[in-house]
Amino acid sequence: MISNLSFKFRHRRLFNDLSLTAGPGDLWHISGPNGVGKSTFLSVVAGLLNPSSGEITLNLASKQILDRRAHLEYLPAEANGLYLKMDSVQNLRFWSQLRGLKLDDSAIFAALEPWGLNHPLLRDGFPIEKYSTGMKRRLALARLDLSPVPGWLLDEPLYGLDQQAITVFRERLRQHLSRGGFALLISHDLEPFRDLITGAKEISSRGSA
Amino acid sequence: MKATTWSQYLTLVRQGLRAEFVDKERLISPVLFSLTMLVLFAFALGDLDQSLRIRVYLAETFLTALFALQMSFSRLFEPDRQDRVFELLRTYPISYTSLFLAKYSLVLILGSATLIPTMLFGAFLHQSANQQLFSWVVLGIGLLALAGLGALGVLLSALTLKAQARQIIYPLLYFPMTTPVLLAAVQSARLCLDVGLGSPELKSWLGLLAAFDIIYITLGVLLFTELMDES
Repeated sequence: MISNLSFKFRHRRLFNDLSLTAGPGDLWHISGPNGVGKSTFLSVVAGLLNPSSGEITLNLASKQILDRRAHLEYLPAEANGLYLKMDSVQNLRFWSQLRGLKLDDSAIFAALEPWGLNHPLLRDGFPIEKYSTGMKRRLALARLDLSPVPGWLLDEPLYGLDQQAITVFRERLRQHLSRGGFALLISHDLEPFRDLITGAKEISSRGSA
Repeated sequence: MKATTWSQYLTLVRQGLRAEFVDKERLISPVLFSLTMLVLFAFALGDLDQSLRIRVYLAETFLTALFALQMSFSRLFEPDRQDRVFELLRTYPISYTSLFLAKYSLVLILGSATLIPTMLFGAFLHQSANQQLFSWVVLGIGLLALAGLGALGVLLSALTLKAQARQIIYPLLYFPMTTPVLLAAVQSARLCLDVGLGSPELKSWLGLLAAFDIIYITLGVLLFTELMDES
């Protein structure tokens, strides 16, 4: 639950009194013009920035969660959080181990499969820096998909994806929501998500939500 | 399922080592830099008097090691800065103490990989038939200095992580703060080689060195979390 969240950068108010409640199965679409603070809003929810006022609370199974980072996955816009000199398996293993998951190779290969990245030539010892933009995004989405957390914070998740990958992502997101997960989404292309969206929040250029 | 601080620490150390090994230039360049410096010093100074050998050996070895280590430390977070990995790390439920200790361990491992060849090569260049310069105790003093410099290196790397003027701020902060550690290390190493282990002054300098190590490591653990929250 996000209550009366406001954020000021220097003297500029980016958003003001933003409130929303996301429950199991909810997909919230965050919209607004460029530069209005949509990505900043997700950064605040992810814990990267502190809000100027307001609060974010996360309740799971009627218990309030103190460190919400254990229950949220964040996908930034135009970056994927990948070690570019390493291969896809090393990247996925690293991020899942930080969440306490011990995955063998077959589990990682299975996570790469739907994204078309489970080929030995793309997978074993092939540095991510040689991937195309879309392939890097696919790998970042595989990381997200592998994580057992209920909350996904998605900032332009379709960036660089081709039609096939968009279809895969839409299906993985639908499965995530049907398992009781929730997501906050920023995307300028709403078409693939139209029937999944349960709520919308617009951030206006005047700084109020 | 939640990862323990220990398992996160191990994961971060492994990933850090992997990041160093896949980019071999990062690993090799500080060692090559220090070996080249030592050769240049040896050529420039020529044959030295017996009395000067120890002092020159210690001065040039510690100076060279300091610059080589500074190169390693300032690039400590470089792999994490790519593709906003560091930001993503901050959104994961990791203990910042484990992150500090992982980076610190990495610095100790990589620093030793620079310091040990530097001290061995420096001793080799300056030793004479009747004077053996390499000493395990001096190497131990070097590693003790590395323990303090490393903690400071991690802390300052984190401090300057977001600074636009990183390359200016880092040395401005690093060099003055390392001076007491280096003075204590050089003095204790000199006493060890000149006078021997029985020197009463040696204990005071070693005590000072250990005290700085403890201060910097404690400050590192305490301040790192604050720095991470701020960055």
